[in-house]
Amino acid sequence: MLAAAGALYFAPSFLERGTLNDVWSVALAVVLASSWNLLGGFAGQVSIGYSAFLGIGAYTTVLLALRGMSPVLTLPLGALLAAGFSVIIGYPTFRLRGPYFTIATIGVGEAVRVVASSVSFAGGASGLRMPAGSFDFESNFRSMTLLAVALVWIALVVSRSAFGSALAAVKQDIDAAEALGVNSTRLKVTVHALSAALVGLAGGLYAINFQYVSPGSVFDFRLSLTIVLMPIVGGVGTVAGPVLGAILFGWLQLKLLSIPALLNSSLFIYGALLIAVMLFEPKGLLGLVRRLWARRLRRFYVDA
Amino acid sequence: MQPALDVVVNSFLAAGLYATMAYGLAVIYGVMRIINLAHAGIMMLGAYATFTLFTRFSLDPFLSIVVVVPLFFAGGVALYRTVVRRLPRSGSTPSMESLLLLFGVWLVLQNLAYVLWSGDTQSILTSYTLRSVSLLGVRVGVPALGVFGMSALSLLVLEFVLHRTYLGKAIRAVTQNRDAALLSGVDADRISAVAFGVGTAFAGLAGTLLSTLFAFTPDFGRSFLLKAFCIIVLGGLESVTGVAAGAFVLALLENGTAAFTTLPTSLQDALSFTLLVVTLVVLPQGLPGLFRLVRDRGRG
Repeated sequence: MLAAAGALYFAPSFLERGTLNDVWSVALAVVLASSWNLLGGFAGQVSIGYSAFLGIGAYTTVLLALRGMSPVLTLPLGALLAAGFSVIIGYPTFRLRGPYFTIATIGVGEAVRVVASSVSFAGGASGLRMPAGSFDFESNFRSMTLLAVALVWIALVVSRSAFGSALAAVKQDIDAAEALGVNSTRLKVTVHALSAALVGLAGGLYAINFQYVSPGSVFDFRLSLTIVLMPIVGGVGTVAGPVLGAILFGWLQLKLLSIPALLNSSLFIYGALLIAVMLFEPKGLLGLVRRLWARRLRRFYVDA
Repeated sequence: MQPALDVVVNSFLAAGLYATMAYGLAVIYGVMRIINLAHAGIMMLGAYATFTLFTRFSLDPFLSIVVVVPLFFAGGVALYRTVVRRLPRSGSTPSMESLLLLFGVWLVLQNLAYVLWSGDTQSILTSYTLRSVSLLGVRVGVPALGVFGMSALSLLVLEFVLHRTYLGKAIRAVTQNRDAALLSGVDADRISAVAFGVGTAFAGLAGTLLSTLFAFTPDFGRSFLLKAFCIIVLGGLESVTGVAAGAFVLALLENGTAAFTTLPTSLQDALSFTLLVVTLVVLPQGLPGLFRLVRDRGRG
């Protein structure tokens, strides 16, 4: 992993801007997918409203930067606000289980988008621009890729920790977990906050990179959807799954943009992918790979 | 007095449509414990189908119901047989797989609509679209009256089928207790197929009705889906009247806030969502639960 971090750090020196942009997008995807996976995969609470946190982080950065704060300082504040928001909506919504929780999160995401479009100090429906200033792509690139690597590391640490075990318990059988003394609500809220903070951080970096935010771009429902799809297609609940999913989707996005015929089919592809995964391999790409690998190994044993 | 009467009458009319919309979702959830997110896409498709029938064959939207409903029923059964039935059943609790699967179906439907009809906003304008009449001193649009009429009719038919036919009894039985229904000899799989077909047909009907009132794009169904969830949670799954009551409460809340507060209508989605969450948290059994509580409190 250190090797990956090192390579990514020095990448700007020998890759061209176009490729760097693509890598940045994939890094963002990895951050979003892995963060979501903390709550959705490890704890089993599927939320389709994560664009709210990205948006909160992005808007915080822009709004504070417009009032004179240095963009770098806005990042932790954005993360904090996103985490705070996640706690506020967490307490009522975590009372709901399974699909009801998911529906509630869809509603939250939509509500946030609608409010952001209607409120004037946030620029309304047309969004806000970052103040003109020195925008250093290199440092933004490094921050985003560093965040992506850090996220994978965080996911690894969590999955091997007692915290991670508690999350898995909640995912499998929340009543049994409670009976064993796990405070499921506090656990869910905590992981939700961590997850939201990371996404909020990414949101701030997003705002700095694109220099412009609007409800349509950061609070988009389709974005929330993609954030859910990546880890699920890649392998929900694992550490490598979201990364796989993010890379797959990054590649898909690039392919879609380059082949004109497929440009209008993004929804179809996402939908078909979702259907295929749910019907044939709920454990996603990683699950499929593992299954095929196990089958190959089994053949070894049987022959011997 | 006038604004209040305005609100009540309009809410009443809107409630009919909302109830039709919600019932499609309710029957699928009740029988199969599946949350049909594709419902939004089906409603959207219903609106577009009506649109095509209107523009190509000059078929009045209200008349096209005769075509749309059976078509969508068949489509629903087909969808059930090909896709939904293969899902692993997770007992009585709704499964995430079905939720996400139907989500995928919704996306595919949206894309289909974009390809077939482009993303431009469409609407249906008939000779009576902009006319209005006076009802109890309140001006109401003619399409709204037609929509209410159709909704009321469909709900009455539904009530009849549910309570006077074997099919209806079977549906209610499976909704209440699937295992007991199986023990009583109900073919749960066939009932599920029928229920899915009915749910889809109702969604198509709702789509047709909606097309007479609103302009639509492929992205159309989402806020209505949210309202439908809200209504089911409020009204419970046990009866058509429950759904109707939930629909009325929501409509009242929407029209009331639009008339008496300065909340912009764009925030209406946020409103339905808030109501949904509040209801889920405070009244998990919905209004019927509340009534039961009051009734039991009164007895003891």
